[in-house]
Amino acid sequence: MRESDSMRRTVLSATALACTAVLAGTVPAFADGATPVPSASPTRATPTTAPAPSAEPTRAPASARPSAVPTRVPGRGQVSVRPSAAPNTGVTEASSGSGDEGGLIGGAAAALVAGGAAVFVVRRRRATGA
Amino acid sequence: MTPLSRRAFVAAATAALLVGCGGPGSHRTTTGRAQGTPPPSSAPAGAKPAHALGRSVPVGLRIPAIGVDTPVMRLGLEPDGTMQVPPVTAHDRAGWYRHSPTPGQVGPSVLLGHVTVGSYGDGVFRRLARLRRGDRIVVRLENGTEAGFAVTALRTVAKKDFPADDVYGDVNRPELRLITCGGPRSGHGYLDNVIVFAALSPGTP
Repeated sequence: MRESDSMRRTVLSATALACTAVLAGTVPAFADGATPVPSASPTRATPTTAPAPSAEPTRAPASARPSAVPTRVPGRGQVSVRPSAAPNTGVTEASSGSGDEGGLIGGAAAALVAGGAAVFVVRRRRATGA
Repeated sequence: MTPLSRRAFVAAATAALLVGCGGPGSHRTTTGRAQGTPPPSSAPAGAKPAHALGRSVPVGLRIPAIGVDTPVMRLGLEPDGTMQVPPVTAHDRAGWYRHSPTPGQVGPSVLLGHVTVGSYGDGVFRRLARLRRGDRIVVRLENGTEAGFAVTALRTVAKKDFPADDVYGDVNRPELRLITCGGPRSGHGYLDNVIVFAALSPGTP
């Protein structure tokens, strides 16, 4: 009877350890999909409020006085098609990245905790004479 | 299982979950960075306006201050509406956005280059952020002429706050925009863009 109890405890302890290891192993999968993506703010130009058509031909608007700041010219865009997001002009070296490192650290810590728990269970069982 | 063993099991499982979830999640950072530099300014006061040039596609780019001398390729749009970028190769080149004016025409002519090209190392625009106001930029055109520009401003901005109006908006003189990436790295890319604003110099090149 005591032997069967001991066997059952051993099996339960092993199951607990296995479950813990499986849970820890799933951590990197959470990390991979959670990378924040740079927001792609839509940049298509909203129609500019062009000055109302007037009888005078193409005289510049009164506000277009010489200025230190480049003037925005109303009408058809000089850049005929605006890209939809900021250019992505930098590729860093492929590295393991901090997310993977975090996963490894988390997994290692979980394994340590699980190992400690298993040792505790075994010692407790021995102390109780099981 | 004794009550003590049961408690040990629950504690181990809970600790593993907490530790495991906390590790990788903690590396996430928000990109809410303050913009570092003021908006672009124009050419120095009193400078004579340069005459616009006729349309001619750029084929080369030279920036003596940072040692750039590169061919220029044409870039369009990707299917998702983003701008194409030059290929990531050992000797990458700059690219001209073909939906923008050619350099020397009235309007913002847009050129791109990589700051780094992955395992190949530095990109053609690696030192773009070192440019200073007044530095010279020379664009070689397909018709055999050259267009000379002077840097008027440099901005480093978060990509999420990309100043599309300042970069692509209409202007009343020939200007140039040189764009690359910069700032903190994030995964395989960068969080910021470095943008150089330049205006056509009188008596170009």
